[in-house]
Amino acid sequence: MKFEIRNLKFLTPIIGSLFLAASAFAADVQLKMEPQLISLMDRAVLKIEFIDTNGDAPAIPDIDGLDIRYQGKSSQTQMINWKTTSKVIHSYIVTPAKTGDFTIGPIECKYKGGKKELTAQLRVIKPDGDKEAQTISDMLFSRIRTDKEKPFVHEPFTLFLSIYAKEGLQLAGNISFRGGIPETGIDGEPEWKMTGQSREVINGTIYNVHRLQGRVETLTAGTFSFSPSIQVNVVVPREKRRSHGFDDAFFGDFFGRQETRPVVLSCNTQEVDVQPIPLERRPPSYTGGIGKFEFEVEVSPTEVKAGEPVTVKMRISGEGNLAQITAPSIQENPDIKLYEVRSVPSESNREIRFEQVVIPRSDNVKEIPAISFSYFNALTADYRTITKGPFPVTVTAAESQGAQVIAVIPTDAENKTKILGRDIVYLKSMPKRWITANGTAWYFSKRFLALLVLPILLLAVVFMATLKRDALEVDVARARRHKAPKAARKNIQQVEHAIRKKDEPAFYEALWKTLTEYFGNRLNLAAGEVSLSAVLSRLPGETKQEAETLTMLFDRIEQMRYGVGEPADHSKQEMKEMLAQTTRILKRCERMKL
Amino acid sequence: MKTGIAITAVFVLLSTGVASAAAEGTADFPQQFIKAQEAYDAGNLTGSLSIYGSMISNGCHNVEVYYNLANACFKNGDLPEAVLNYRRAWYQQPRDPDINANLRFALNAAGAVPPVTNLFERASAVRSMKEWIEAAIAAYLIGILSVILALLIRPAKSVLLKTSLIPGAAMLISLGCLWPWMQLETYPEFVVVRSGATALFGPVEGSTAHYKIPPGAIVRQRDIDSKGWMEIEYDGKTGWIKRDLISRVSP
Repeated sequence: MKFEIRNLKFLTPIIGSLFLAASAFAADVQLKMEPQLISLMDRAVLKIEFIDTNGDAPAIPDIDGLDIRYQGKSSQTQMINWKTTSKVIHSYIVTPAKTGDFTIGPIECKYKGGKKELTAQLRVIKPDGDKEAQTISDMLFSRIRTDKEKPFVHEPFTLFLSIYAKEGLQLAGNISFRGGIPETGIDGEPEWKMTGQSREVINGTIYNVHRLQGRVETLTAGTFSFSPSIQVNVVVPREKRRSHGFDDAFFGDFFGRQETRPVVLSCNTQEVDVQPIPLERRPPSYTGGIGKFEFEVEVSPTEVKAGEPVTVKMRISGEGNLAQITAPSIQENPDIKLYEVRSVPSESNREIRFEQVVIPRSDNVKEIPAISFSYFNALTADYRTITKGPFPVTVTAAESQGAQVIAVIPTDAENKTKILGRDIVYLKSMPKRWITANGTAWYFSKRFLALLVLPILLLAVVFMATLKRDALEVDVARARRHKAPKAARKNIQQVEHAIRKKDEPAFYEALWKTLTEYFGNRLNLAAGEVSLSAVLSRLPGETKQEAETLTMLFDRIEQMRYGVGEPADHSKQEMKEMLAQTTRILKRCERMKL
Repeated sequence: MKTGIAITAVFVLLSTGVASAAAEGTADFPQQFIKAQEAYDAGNLTGSLSIYGSMISNGCHNVEVYYNLANACFKNGDLPEAVLNYRRAWYQQPRDPDINANLRFALNAAGAVPPVTNLFERASAVRSMKEWIEAAIAAYLIGILSVILALLIRPAKSVLLKTSLIPGAAMLISLGCLWPWMQLETYPEFVVVRSGATALFGPVEGSTAHYKIPPGAIVRQRDIDSKGWMEIEYDGKTGWIKRDLISRVSP
């Protein structure tokens, strides 16, 4: 029995592999059209199901008479009799535009382990209650026209849009625009307003007509094509249609008796040939106005002292591109200081107002110069100029000849000044320094990034140094230990000096100092406490040779310093040898833990 | 001391290297710039465009050249290219009033809405990426120097350590404001260069149309698809468009 179980353990991965292989072989892809028979007012759903595999949504070829749009991806997992099946479903909404039999595909569906070419069939029949309609556009369409086919640049014109719905068709919800209006060269999108509803008979068929209109103004000359793509929602009875789910946004709610279906209407194309404003005979006082305008100017106060401000108020009203008109200018005069002209808000959208402050510099000023406003009359296709003024003013000499501060107190209107932007700002002047783009910016170069580490390293070094400094200040023994080799090196220099001079007493004195200072610092002993016994007591047990050398050195030096032994006349060589012995023993001690 | 000398030497070497590289190939730029400006003033926009374009392709990276090229594009009626170059100029000098005015004007003429930004991104756009990097580096160096001095000068340790908090905070702010700029590398901006661009709900031909995007609109990449589609964000809405309809703003 044990043997059998052991065998099964070996079989488990093999069985698992077989199951995996079996599941791999089960991978498949299917194409489904639900339902396969619909009316012209209906829609179908095309589903590509990847069973036990996965795959991207394939592109569906264009089919005349059908609009196929990708709806999204969903996934399902089912377990039946312990067998798990997973599906990845890509759904497409199929909207017919005409009746007939359609073949969708072949669609190439790629999935892990293979690919398949699939086709689906769809039959579209005429809708109930309208046996004449062959296409959607027979029942629902739109028409566009304009009041001016050749307007001038900036001259507003009106687009009239009519939506025709065959009698009996009910529209619901809003009308939405999905493009078809030029995207560039127009000053904003037209704002469509519903202007009314009526009924019209076309070829013996009654249509309900919804009328809209929108104002358009172009920024450039050229030919503009208007063919708006309009989407409306048509109410469709749902009794004869199957549901595609409770939350199907395209098919309405499950419990309603009716549902709405979005339909994009066909529309004619309205070409508008926008003319440029002629450059010939353009007056210097032209400030961009196109249309028909009135111009009024008011000057106040008319009695001032030299240096006091006079306000010139200008008002332009009428029909045309008011928003594009810039302020008329006052002719410059050395006796008058002109301030910047300001745009002032107006309560009416049929007029614009400007204000300009002028200051007579002297009492020689008798009048504010005449102001001309020119505009292009689009109806007569010529320029018109309206001139107002000159405006007499009485300027008296200023009482004081001293320095005068002239300040214009801002009014509420001035605070609401708008910035006038009619054209782009002019070119920039030559740069002082030329910048070249040599690949990577300097701050992203590897060299610079590596350099950025240096300050951190420097900080680390300083930090370690200060830590050491602080530690040495607190720990005397450690500080002396740290000082020991340095002091020894200094004393050895004195020993070498004594050897060179062959000064025996100085030699032994310096040698003694070397040993006592080194061990004094090393073992943290006071000057008088350094003795051979004290040093030997701190040497580790296994350092017998070092102990003997030290004993010899201490004895010899003491003998020679205090004249205990026999007087000797040591040669330079002997002294050097003794120094070498001392150096060797100190180096060994430096490596030992005492 | 030796370390200080070494650092100074490395900086000097680097700066001279950069300076010499910058000097190369810039000799003709002043003349070209004047010629391009003259061509623009004379109404020869094609000539002006050609000279500015040649300067940029020869490595000129001055904001003035991008701006003037954008002006020439605008006057020549090429709004998408104008917006593209205004935006490139804006990357370098986001506070420049001329660039901002012309960019707004060009976007308005194109019928496009300016890129939607949140408060943090607007704060970040107060300075260019280069300026934020320079500020962060300066704050970093000053901060390190303050800490080193605090370690070395014991009597002023407390004051210097507190002082170092200021460059520390400045560095954090700079790095924070740098973040939206760095995000432009991951999610770059593109300008729609062809008409008829429609954002779809899915990265598949025939997917439901979501919204139209006018040529010249600045869109932000959100995701990419291996089949040539890109998920973009425009006016707060996301959608998928073909990559050949757009041109990248950042180099």
